[in-house]
Amino acid sequence: MGRRLIPLVAITFLVAFTSSGCSKKKPGPAEGAGAPGLDENALSGDSLARAQAGLNPAEGGPLKDIHFAYDSFELDESARQTLQQNAEWLKDHAKAKVEIEGHTDERGTVEYNLALGAKRARAAKDYIATLGISADRLSTISYGEELPLCREHDDVCWQRNRRAHSVVLGAD
Amino acid sequence: MKRREWMAVVVGMSVVGASATHAQVRGTVFGPGSRSYPIAVSPLKDQSDRGTGAKLAVEFADIVVRDLDLAGLFKIIDRSAYIEPPDTTGITAEQINFDNWSVIGALALVKGSVQSVGNDLTVEARLFDVYQRRQLVGRRYRGDSPTQVRRIANRFADEIMAQFTGERGPFDSRIAFVSTRGGRFKNLYVMSLDGGDLLQVTSGKTLDLSPSWSIDNRSLLYTSYKRGNPDLYSLDLIASRETRLSAEKGLNLGGKWSPDGSRLAVALEDKGNSDIFLLDRDGKVIRRLTDHWGIDVSPSWSPDGQHLAFCSDRSGVPQIYIINADGTGVHRVSTEGNYNTSPAWSPKGDRIAYTGRAGGRFNVFTVKVDGSETQQLTSGQGSNEDPSWAPDGRYIVFSSTRTGAALLYVMDRTGTSQVALTHGSGDDTSPTWSRWLE
Repeated sequence: MGRRLIPLVAITFLVAFTSSGCSKKKPGPAEGAGAPGLDENALSGDSLARAQAGLNPAEGGPLKDIHFAYDSFELDESARQTLQQNAEWLKDHAKAKVEIEGHTDERGTVEYNLALGAKRARAAKDYIATLGISADRLSTISYGEELPLCREHDDVCWQRNRRAHSVVLGAD
Repeated sequence: MKRREWMAVVVGMSVVGASATHAQVRGTVFGPGSRSYPIAVSPLKDQSDRGTGAKLAVEFADIVVRDLDLAGLFKIIDRSAYIEPPDTTGITAEQINFDNWSVIGALALVKGSVQSVGNDLTVEARLFDVYQRRQLVGRRYRGDSPTQVRRIANRFADEIMAQFTGERGPFDSRIAFVSTRGGRFKNLYVMSLDGGDLLQVTSGKTLDLSPSWSIDNRSLLYTSYKRGNPDLYSLDLIASRETRLSAEKGLNLGGKWSPDGSRLAVALEDKGNSDIFLLDRDGKVIRRLTDHWGIDVSPSWSPDGQHLAFCSDRSGVPQIYIINADGTGVHRVSTEGNYNTSPAWSPKGDRIAYTGRAGGRFNVFTVKVDGSETQQLTSGQGSNEDPSWAPDGRYIVFSSTRTGAALLYVMDRTGTSQVALTHGSGDDTSPTWSRWLE
């Protein structure tokens, strides 16, 4: 595998991908490991990949999560500030690509929540793009209510789950 | 049970000594959920050599009892009260001592016989009016495997329903659903109404979501993240073969075949926004039905294939709308509440079931297609979501968290008689009810 020490996290995901037997199209954190400025903490894996490796979804990371009001995909002031910070990080790591995941809390039905998650991810992507980040560095995916951070049936947990979570995919 | 077996045709239904008239009793005598019409279901008489049909004789009765119990109309008289042992007494009107059944309170009686020779299965099933001492209907069924006793029992339960209500019952059918019972991931399962014949039909550490049946009951449309993106697949359950029909970037969600099977409706994502599209059988886009910045999702066809119901938040909150299959005539149909999703159009064509939020909880509602007569069918604890209609349009299967984890329940279309269908571990969600298997 070469001259670099591959981060332990990346090895974990490489094993998870091959042992689950699926050839996932999305780039995993094993690619681009060790690229300048991207350490193993940055490459935490997207929420489904993490679940396949037996991990819970990550909360935050080098790029911070933003949160939404119930049944909404509007960015409030706090969300916009967070996305501005995320955009700064992306400017400092000019080769990094990002997948923005849209999530919802558990209330409501599966299909509507998948569509709502898609709107949330897209809202975050569109805003970051207006801040000067090239859109071809930004992809989106919705997981609806399927990959929550927590499963309690209360407002605190619901608020945590109503999020757009950004996953660094590594550089080309 | 092999997949092939539950789809195999149950052969050779011939009528055996039937009377032409139906039961005197009709639906007006006992209403939905009344559980009031007393019926006894005797295990079959085993006419096989060496008792090879003994277990099948009991299994038949167990499944008929289970089906009639779900129907909510009948009061099943407990087997422990039966006086006549099946193997030593007759099965025709002339041979039966009806006093032995009226004395335990039965107004209707099921008796019959089974012969199991190698793989050949023959079941004769007869329904009697105890008071009038006559047969109402008799059927002889042939199967090519002993396991077909289950389908035969479901068929006869449907026959009993036809006799007493004038409409065929829904039990010769299947329910597909999503479950996490295998672990933390979501895979697809298929079962018959009594919870038997349970088959896991997809596997893998992924999310397999939103199944729906093809019109020939052979395959399931569903959305899976198995290749990363939520793509639309068609899984042929008999051939165990799968085709990826739609892989647009983003959501390919809630695929539903039109009633003639010629095309499917699905929600596709365009720049983060979901809209309803019609695709042909190869997954090629025929027509875009909605083009609105709001969320448009969850199409459901009318039984005549001329209209679709769908969920849209174009008003600001999710509501149920109807659109013509050519894309014209969008209008709202849900009139109560401010969160209504997951519509399901009844096979009778007159009502649409959906999930609505009321008092902070999610419940199953129905509304007439003209928007009038909204009815709330569930209430109380937990979330009750994602209704799907039985093929006879009189029952609804849905997912409920009233006891904690999500389980599947069946109720009749007025909401009475809600009975749990599944009891396993994990969450059972997104049920979809097939057509009649034949």
